[in-house]
Amino acid sequence: MTTLRLTWLLLQKDLRIAARSREVLGFTLLFSVLCVLIFAFGFLQSGSAAVRYVPGVLWVTLLFASSMSLLRLFAAEEEGGTLPLVSATTAGTVPLFLSKAGVQLVFTTLVTALVLPMVLLFFDARLDAPGPVIASLLLGLVGQSVVGTLCAALLVHVRLREVLLPLVLYPTVAPLVIAGVKVTSMALQGQSGQGTTDWLTLMLVFDLVFVAASPWLHGRAMQR
Amino acid sequence: MTAHSPAPLQVPVKQPWLLLAGIALGLALIEAALWWIATKTPPDIILGVVQKVFYFHVASAFVMLLTLTAAAGTSLYDLIRPDDRADALARSCLEVGVVFALCVLTSGPLWARKSWGMYWTWEPRLTLTLLVTLLAVAVIALRGLAEDPQSGRRVGAAMAVMGAPASFLIHVAVKWWGGAHPQVLQGGGIRSSEMRVAFWLAVAGLITFAACMVVARFRDLRLQDRARSLRLNLSALELRRGRA
Repeated sequence: MTTLRLTWLLLQKDLRIAARSREVLGFTLLFSVLCVLIFAFGFLQSGSAAVRYVPGVLWVTLLFASSMSLLRLFAAEEEGGTLPLVSATTAGTVPLFLSKAGVQLVFTTLVTALVLPMVLLFFDARLDAPGPVIASLLLGLVGQSVVGTLCAALLVHVRLREVLLPLVLYPTVAPLVIAGVKVTSMALQGQSGQGTTDWLTLMLVFDLVFVAASPWLHGRAMQR
Repeated sequence: MTAHSPAPLQVPVKQPWLLLAGIALGLALIEAALWWIATKTPPDIILGVVQKVFYFHVASAFVMLLTLTAAAGTSLYDLIRPDDRADALARSCLEVGVVFALCVLTSGPLWARKSWGMYWTWEPRLTLTLLVTLLAVAVIALRGLAEDPQSGRRVGAAMAVMGAPASFLIHVAVKWWGGAHPQVLQGGGIRSSEMRVAFWLAVAGLITFAACMVVARFRDLRLQDRARSLRLNLSALELRRGRA
């Protein structure tokens, strides 16, 4: 079987488990709602324009929510002690890595589908040209999922990983957050053009580098 | 004492004379740089005496860049072709790199308070240095927290390698984000010859000293490895003796 086919099978399995239990996804969605609320309490004062907080709140909420689900990404394999078995039966770690990154991408996309309208609604913002924002969200989510999965996979056998995961993940994905916030704020102000394209290109380069490097690094780090 | 007591275990450890000489040289260079900065260099026309932080600030940044790059390079080598020496070198470079990053992050604000009017600003190089330092600290912490040393080693190496492209992209991103850092060396260099001497003395001193710190830590890690394997050998020997 090819790597792609194995990845697809593993992805299907994980998504089926997630759809049946709904625990992780449910709590991540709940957490992201709370996160937006807390940001509203923290930032909004009466009389000030709420729109300028939208990019920051959106991207930081997505980052926090993604680290929530990342911590449970390898939980089933870890509790059953089946990580070595999965990589043994799928001829290497690449299908495992790609399928987990796919699961994370599906989760964060669902979270985004909830958070984006919610932030726009709560912070009284209007998105007239959603194209660049959606492109930046797609690129950002792919990059965050890949880097996040790499970090979560590397930290599986490390104590205090709940603490270490943000410590490693947040500096690494800083370019995505900066670029995403920039693109979103430019779109909200109705600007578009060269600036937007540059930031999207940066995100694309980030994604390409980590999509190419992460499976290899993961395989190297996990070999016995 | 009975006749059966084991012979005292003596393992020859070479005295690191070269290392000690290097440390002495590094300290002498740093001392010379300090003396030169204090007595020979003129105070800056605009910034006054605070400008003198510059010499050690930029030299520390050099050392930080060199050691962290070396840490990523040796980690990559260790991942491709596992080698205990590469691993020890990567660890020592990373630790020394963090020490000098802290020097950069403390000496920078001292200068910035006078020059920019505030201790900290969200400026590209500052942001990059802070983020990369945090990443390096996380990698060091991770090595200590791994359940078994071998997996910790591979995971730490993978993280260090991941940090390299990430640092580059962070650099690009924060640069576009907005910038105000003085570009002394790229933009024309230092004009006063006294200042130039002070600067290169500081660079030479800190690089020598940092190299010695890396070697000392490397030696320390290698000796720890050796002590561990000797202890294993000893217990294996005792087991065999007990069985006979």
